[in-house]
Amino acid sequence: MSAFEMPRRAALSLALAGFVLPAGAQQAPADPLLYGPTDPKAKRGGRVTIGSLVEPPALDPFRQAADARIRVSVLMYQGLFFEDQTGVARPLLAESASPSADGKSWTFRLRRGVKFHTGAAMTSADVKYSYDFMRNPANGSPGAGDLSSVAEIEAPDEHTVVFKLSRANAALPMTLTNKYGAVVPKGFLDEANSGTRMNEVSVGTGPFRLKQFRPNSTLVLERNRDYWEPGLPYLDEITFVTMPNSAAMVVGLQSRRIDLAMFSRPQDTQALQNAAGVEVHRWPSLNQKSIDLDCKYGPLADVRVRQAIALGIDKKTVMDASIAGYGTVLGTMVAGMQEGWGVPLAELANQKVDLEKARALLRDAGHTNGLDIDLTTIIGYDWMDPAAVTIAEQLRRIDIRVTIKKVELGVWIRNFRAREMGFTFNDWGTTPDPSLLFYRHFRAAPEGADFRNWNNARASALLDQGQETADPTQRRAIYAEFQKILAEEVPTIMLFSADVLTANRTRLKNYVQHGTGWYFGLAKAWVEG
Amino acid sequence: MAALLSSLAVFLLMRAVPGDIVGQMLGQAGGDRAAEAALRGFFGLDRPLWQQFLEWITATLQGDLGRSWYQGRPVGAMVWEAFLVTAELALATLLLATLIGVPLGVLAGIRQGSRLDAAIQAVNLVGLSAPVFWLGLMLLVGVSQFLDWSPPFAWSGPTEDLADNISILVLPVLSLTVLQAAAYAQFTRGLMVEELGRDYIRAARAKGLAPAALYFKHALANAAIPLVTFMGLILVQILGGVVVIESLFSLPGLGRLILSAIQGRDYPVVQGALFFVVVIAVLVNLTVDLLYGLLDPRLRP
Amino acid sequence: MTAWRLGLLLAAFFAVLLLAPGLVAPQSPFDLDPARALQPPSAAHWFGTDDVGRDVFARVVHGTRVTLGLVTFSLTLAMLVGGGLGVVAGFAGGWFDLAAGRLTDMVQTFPPIIAGVMITGVLGPGAANLVLALAVIYLPNFFRLGRSAALAEAQLTYVEAARAAGFAEPAILLRQVLPNVLPVLVLNFVILFPLALQIEAALGFLGLGVVPPAPDWGAILEQGKNFILVAWWMSLWPGLFVLLSALAMTLLGRGLREKLAS
Repeated sequence: MSAFEMPRRAALSLALAGFVLPAGAQQAPADPLLYGPTDPKAKRGGRVTIGSLVEPPALDPFRQAADARIRVSVLMYQGLFFEDQTGVARPLLAESASPSADGKSWTFRLRRGVKFHTGAAMTSADVKYSYDFMRNPANGSPGAGDLSSVAEIEAPDEHTVVFKLSRANAALPMTLTNKYGAVVPKGFLDEANSGTRMNEVSVGTGPFRLKQFRPNSTLVLERNRDYWEPGLPYLDEITFVTMPNSAAMVVGLQSRRIDLAMFSRPQDTQALQNAAGVEVHRWPSLNQKSIDLDCKYGPLADVRVRQAIALGIDKKTVMDASIAGYGTVLGTMVAGMQEGWGVPLAELANQKVDLEKARALLRDAGHTNGLDIDLTTIIGYDWMDPAAVTIAEQLRRIDIRVTIKKVELGVWIRNFRAREMGFTFNDWGTTPDPSLLFYRHFRAAPEGADFRNWNNARASALLDQGQETADPTQRRAIYAEFQKILAEEVPTIMLFSADVLTANRTRLKNYVQHGTGWYFGLAKAWVEG
Repeated sequence: MAALLSSLAVFLLMRAVPGDIVGQMLGQAGGDRAAEAALRGFFGLDRPLWQQFLEWITATLQGDLGRSWYQGRPVGAMVWEAFLVTAELALATLLLATLIGVPLGVLAGIRQGSRLDAAIQAVNLVGLSAPVFWLGLMLLVGVSQFLDWSPPFAWSGPTEDLADNISILVLPVLSLTVLQAAAYAQFTRGLMVEELGRDYIRAARAKGLAPAALYFKHALANAAIPLVTFMGLILVQILGGVVVIESLFSLPGLGRLILSAIQGRDYPVVQGALFFVVVIAVLVNLTVDLLYGLLDPRLRP
Repeated sequence: MTAWRLGLLLAAFFAVLLLAPGLVAPQSPFDLDPARALQPPSAAHWFGTDDVGRDVFARVVHGTRVTLGLVTFSLTLAMLVGGGLGVVAGFAGGWFDLAAGRLTDMVQTFPPIIAGVMITGVLGPGAANLVLALAVIYLPNFFRLGRSAALAEAQLTYVEAARAAGFAEPAILLRQVLPNVLPVLVLNFVILFPLALQIEAALGFLGLGVVPPAPDWGAILEQGKNFILVAWWMSLWPGLFVLLSALAMTLLGRGLREKLAS
């Protein structure tokens, strides 16, 4: 279980070559890598139970940003593209994408023969309707911000939609993936209670449909018999069970109560190393565990203090303490995208511990007696407490006295959104594209949310440029420059990506875990016997 | 009156907790103020507090607890379903605690001062002192590691699948029972000791009545009234103490419903569920008082 | 009486841990080293080490002060405020009695853990807020007791006599009533202690307790629950310490009750 299991394939070059998509053939066959690799031995039938520590608060893909919701709703709802791990947006409900020369107009040909769970056939009108709903802020969708460059959506014929943009956006296909929103039947969202209706029925086009959702207990999905890709999916039924803690998940796997579980702290799988009939897999992740620094908060307003903190933190030790080393230390890019987009850590500022320099920076900033600061951790995020005590010890070496503060998630989100985060841990993931990773978080307002009050003009200009540039080599250079500024200015300290660890009963085959932590892999998983 | 006051307190407390449902729905995505404002308007969070409370309380008093902001289901139905889970847990615990606690208490009372009494008392004391959630955790781990068994975690009601239902409940009920059986045994022992010391027992004994008849016909019969009322007390205590055990075993009961609604800032559910809990608590207390008055002739006016 | 002695012995043991934890466990409860994480009990680490390599024995021993200190502090607060208000209400009667009574009725209808969750939710987790939450939860209990004791006292002849003799009401309250009410309140304190301890541990277990790196028993249990299958020692010892200290107070309470009754 030392090596990653994700086949890297030739995907890297693909990722950098932009969108190499099949030409607009009439009946384009589905990409064999959609949702992960296909197993030729796969057989249909069977039910599986999946243990999960988190539960979706509701199933509305348009208005619930919770990661727990995305994990499961990707099986029921689909966007135009699939966010392949390697950074390629593979056509899903779209068949092809062709940008205009200036990048301000994208024409998408739609897949034919796609049916909603309601039985109705999907047309361009449904696509236009769904994305129009999503991009209108008055509808309260968390995905609206990512679509701010869309000026108009047209549906010239039944199988074509055209997105007209106010600024070029090279990341548009990756934006039209499955995180927020989906294609649903035209008119469905007009009802005021459409959001909560989706807890009772699914109206997407995905391989599974909703059977039953019992909050605080179970979520049951059943096979979509009319799924557009012939033969898929293999499983008849999937039951997600909310588990109380990771020890219970281990126990459930051992005693055959559950077939699959994903662990938030990799070392929790240690107890399963020698369990009979259980295999543990390790996957690279698109998630990051980081420390955010509000650039307007007390001493953090001074860039020298932020740099001193970065120079005082030994990321490797923090990672060892909080996830027993099952991860990758980060510079300015999540582990799953480092190869394609990241700048080597050695070329970034403030990555190596340098206590002398840190002390000097603090002195220059006027903190001759060091300083006191609160570090916020979130209740329920198990990795944060050990990381916090470790960082407190490390920063004490440069006379920064850290007081650990715990807050409940709801309170934390409130502070984060109000741009009053202070000095805090964060835990977030991304769709595999640098624009989607950085833009919303670091672009100055109003285009970006700039939660950290960084407000850096140069960085913002680069983010705009990166979004507008289609040429992969140029794009890479732009984001490399952005990352160097990010490392220099320290509005955030990306600590590490924790590997995603899954454990499954051996009867469950071909489950490939996506780096986002979402359950895409269940579309191609199957059971033996 | 108490229920009204409590409702107001819950209403205000909940709104004093920083953050609301809008933040939770948007998460770390989109900082768009327009989206925030739209959602706040949708839930009516932009109106003055007094107006929100007045609307809620009028509807509540007419029997409408509103709908969950996340689930869209009527709060009344959600609370009732969760209550059934909690009630099953509580009643099973009560039953088991009575079946174990009362005989142990009687035994200890009859053999007052004996080794058996001392042993039972020692077990009781440990039972009274062990943290329930810790016991539950130890039970889960112990059973799974030594018996290679675990509960099925996915909830099934008794009418859906009784076998599954029992498998799910056995560990939580056991962990709750330890404490309650100990309390019950303790209480019963005290009553027996008291009754057995009374004059009528001595008189009966002098008349040569068989010990079994003595203990069960007279002493226990007299202790029945306080035992029944004690049952009510224990029930209230169990209902109050299930929150942690429900979280520990993933049971979709009332405690967990309230907890997750607080975390998600689902105000209608928090308010409705706590209103229900308060009303239940008031009713149980009232019933216990009434029963006590009915059963105990001395308290009759 | 052996129970009473056992209780005293246990209480003395915990008192030593509370007052001088360093004597029993010279190791620091904060020194961490991921390289020695999750080691089973050994001569060097009697209770093993936790996930960041801290000595569990030191953490549990030093945790005595945190956990028992918090419970003691909050119950004292509840006793002083609740008992005090109760005595005043019982003695003074009138609108104050009525209002205070209603308020405490209200608090008492909440399940204690839910009340704790809501209060720490409003104020945020942390030692001070935990104390406040526990105090609020147990305030009504002391209030009722203080009130009924004061009511009973107020009817007694010596209070009547003092009134007749022209003593001011506050003086009567302070000199005559309070000394008679106090033993009842103290006994209640001891009886409630194990219950409050369990609530404290449960709130810690839900993540609402003290803030790291403070070694609170409930917090250690919360931290240990994820490792329970690979490192049982993180969960066993703090749980046992909760159990034993609750036992000590239960025994003391029983002994005290007998002593007061006789």
